[in-house]
Amino acid sequence: MTTAIRPESLPPMAITWDSTRVNKTGSWRYLRPVYRDKTPPCHAGCPTTNEIERVLYWVALGDLDRAWEILTAENPFPAITGRVCHHPCESRCNRGRFDEAVGIREVERFLGDWALRAGKRVEPLVPKKSNKRVAVVGGGPAGLACAYHLARLGHAATVFEANPEPGGVLRYGIPNYRLPKSVLKAELHKLKDLDVEIRTNARVGQDVSWDELQRQYDAIFVATGVWKSLPLRVPGEDLKGVLSGLQFLKALHQGQGQPLSEELGERVVVVGGGNTAMDVARTALRLGKRVVIAYRRTRAEMPAIPEEIEEALAEGAELIERVSPTKILGEDGRVVGIELQKMRLGEPDESGRRRPVPIEGSEFVLEADTVITAIGEAPDFAGLPEELHDEWVVPVDEWGRVLRQKVFAGGDVIDQPHTVVDALASGKRAAIAIDLFLKGKLDRKEADEIRRRIELPQGGLSMRRYVEDPGALLLDNTRIVEYEQLNPAYFQKIARTPPQERPPEARVRDFSEVKPGFDWDEALREAERCLHCGVCNGCDNCFVFCPDLAVTRNAGADGRGYPYAINYDYCKGCGICVQECPRAVLELVREGSGEGG
Amino acid sequence: MAKKVLMGNHAVSYGARLSRVEVIAAYPITPQTQVVEELAEMCAWGDLNAKFIKVESEHSAMAACIGASATGARAFTATSSQGLLLMHEMLHWAAGARLPIVMANINRALAPPWSIWSEQTDSLAQRDTGWLQFYCESNQEVLDTTIQAFKISERVLLPAMIILDAFFLSHTYEPVEVPAQEAVDEFLPPYKPPLKLDVDDPHAFGALVGPDGYYEFRYNIQKAFEEAQRAIIEVGEEFGERFGRAYGLVEPFYVDDAEVVLVTSSTITSTARAVIKERRARGERVGLLKIRVFRPFPFEAVREMLLGVPKVAVIDRNLSLGHHGIFHAELKSALYGQRNAPAVFGFVAGLGGRDVTPRTIHQILDIVGSQEEPDRDVYWIGLKAKAEEGQPAGNGRKQRQRVKA
Repeated sequence: MTTAIRPESLPPMAITWDSTRVNKTGSWRYLRPVYRDKTPPCHAGCPTTNEIERVLYWVALGDLDRAWEILTAENPFPAITGRVCHHPCESRCNRGRFDEAVGIREVERFLGDWALRAGKRVEPLVPKKSNKRVAVVGGGPAGLACAYHLARLGHAATVFEANPEPGGVLRYGIPNYRLPKSVLKAELHKLKDLDVEIRTNARVGQDVSWDELQRQYDAIFVATGVWKSLPLRVPGEDLKGVLSGLQFLKALHQGQGQPLSEELGERVVVVGGGNTAMDVARTALRLGKRVVIAYRRTRAEMPAIPEEIEEALAEGAELIERVSPTKILGEDGRVVGIELQKMRLGEPDESGRRRPVPIEGSEFVLEADTVITAIGEAPDFAGLPEELHDEWVVPVDEWGRVLRQKVFAGGDVIDQPHTVVDALASGKRAAIAIDLFLKGKLDRKEADEIRRRIELPQGGLSMRRYVEDPGALLLDNTRIVEYEQLNPAYFQKIARTPPQERPPEARVRDFSEVKPGFDWDEALREAERCLHCGVCNGCDNCFVFCPDLAVTRNAGADGRGYPYAINYDYCKGCGICVQECPRAVLELVREGSGEGG
Repeated sequence: MAKKVLMGNHAVSYGARLSRVEVIAAYPITPQTQVVEELAEMCAWGDLNAKFIKVESEHSAMAACIGASATGARAFTATSSQGLLLMHEMLHWAAGARLPIVMANINRALAPPWSIWSEQTDSLAQRDTGWLQFYCESNQEVLDTTIQAFKISERVLLPAMIILDAFFLSHTYEPVEVPAQEAVDEFLPPYKPPLKLDVDDPHAFGALVGPDGYYEFRYNIQKAFEEAQRAIIEVGEEFGERFGRAYGLVEPFYVDDAEVVLVTSSTITSTARAVIKERRARGERVGLLKIRVFRPFPFEAVREMLLGVPKVAVIDRNLSLGHHGIFHAELKSALYGQRNAPAVFGFVAGLGGRDVTPRTIHQILDIVGSQEEPDRDVYWIGLKAKAEEGQPAGNGRKQRQRVKA
């Protein structure tokens, strides 16, 4: 060989005769990097398991159709939740630990409104219609969501609504300035698109009997809500001028605003600190009243959405903290004032909030023309069989099923938080359960396997995971990505986009919406703030950093697979790609451990 | 052609731009910063169509240049002092890989103690890395040498370092003739690499070679340095024909009949020129030899110029600690054993940017004029010391003997 090497025969630099591809350096590896999408905390924290990260991904790319399809697989009414949801997703958003949480709800609203303007139609998720019929009792968010998802799974759903219009709390509770009736109406059009029959003025036990439903339908979903206001249990509660919050709101929604307004007088005291109390207070303000909110703990403990409290106070409501009514004072059978007793906060109760303890002798009187109570609601079980419920709730199992019958329940009648999004989630859960039930799978082991596949860490069930081919599911639904797992070196601090807002002095003059919602630019800017925790968004870091060029762009990526592939023939398992992945998608597994394929 | 008033650093940038560099990777360091600042602006404004790579260290800067050059791109960087030292490993690689990268180095003293002022030790410490080294005297020479360096490097496949003094050149403004782009394009055609990275025909570059071949590769690099001597002369002459300013390996000034010849490099040369003129006016037979190219060391050229001259004095703004000034040592090795070799005096002056003034050079000429042979290995000129240890102004030997007595 030495004879071949002469100075004049050499190239300028020593290079190999052939490609070094023959040297499969992957054989040196004892750790293997694998792509594995994990559950972002927003996704897990959303009761309806909205795939927020994917939605924001497509919004940021301007593909609203795709974003909307993904969103409406889980949540039928983004234009509604985009306005009224208490957005637990934002509380869980990892970006909150970096600068400020992503304004997810406003983007959702933008997308929902866009779809309404664009006249988007939802289509069934499965091509074939079953010949099964399901009765949905109660046309509020839970019932409508259940009907929506059942219809998308191919079943015929009939909604029995006691009131003249469907919507439940969306129509008869939440005021117009938070959720315009036009938006509600447009969103509910989806049910018509899906051939869901809605029978209004059809109260079960009055207009249709429970036995009829049992006979005529293959399954029944009960979601009649909570429409009885809890009484204050103080003297004077029967005086003229004492109203329940629900009564008040419902009357208003039924177009009785003007006569009601005259009846209220000047000074309105609202008792309670929940969302109903805020709705009542802000509605009264819009009727031109002076409003005082009396709450027995402090603002920090109020169960209402913080923004609602903030907006109510900005609009001129006065908050008196740590007081509880002891008596309602009247003259000639009509309210003239309310006696309140001061409270101090004692030890935490079972809800974790400090229990209010009365201070003896601290009573004082507040003059009032009207007292509106909003201290909680209870269900009205009239028309439902006794065995379905106890005093407060309809007990259900983990699928939302009652007594292992063909009856399922959801919304505020079951033991869960009384929120719109929890109601929507319970409707979806029941739709999946009913689908399994109608196929005879619910009582079988298969149901447990399916549940493992579709359940997210905080208990939400994903419709996309339910209908997708299990092999196409990239996301590990057992692990949530926490902030500590991210590599924030790759993120830039960007302030949250503040939603536009009408000034308080203007908005209390009418019932129009407080916030006009994001425009295109704002929605895109906010969507771009998403860190895509745990989900590959094709940032190219692994591709750029791999010193062995073992990461290749996956040309066949169609949004279902990963945009990259690792050539394990040459990957030495150095772990640089794992270190540099900003969002904890890549992870190292022990070679030969059987993990990661 | 246009005349511009440019600082030395910008003369480098203009030279690089006119050479149509394609990749620039650099890390900032005083006093080099304006070189790449100007280039970054040229890229940003679209005056230069180059990929500007920001890196986190000089080691990476050179690594990026190596990668770029291996793909056949014309690559350029600039650095100074500690930055150059950090590149050291990559400097060897660039030369061993025969990549014609061009780099400007602004001569700056090494720490500690920290100094930002001029001294040549940083670049001279890289003399064994296989880089061509050009020491420039003026901003015009800086610009012209940058353009020539690409042509020379690409012909012999060796990287080149253009070297200029911190502040004395880097931050000093001088009128500079900036040649027209078309003229430079005619002089310097695009780089055509004999070998380049090609994803469609993959090979490992810089592969392992056993004892049966390494020796031959090194031999070829040495041959390339020999070829570089010819290339520098030819390219310097061609440049002269096209642009009116010719360059060579060395530059003589009143050497022919000189009894004493100063050997200098970089900006000290200009100061020395003035002193030589003054002394010539007084009728003294003194001359000057500027060494422009340090690698390849111009053995033949210095022999031609200096054999037969009675006395030679080398002024070094640098020091190989434990040895001599580095030009001094190299010059002696070139003259050793030659017939009619001169007596060679070595002066270390101006370390850490201390001024080397006409007075300093007069002092040197006085010392050399007063004795036939050097009486010590190294003369420290301008050392602040106690009187008894101080450097004698006249005959050193006598004075030292006096102290001893």
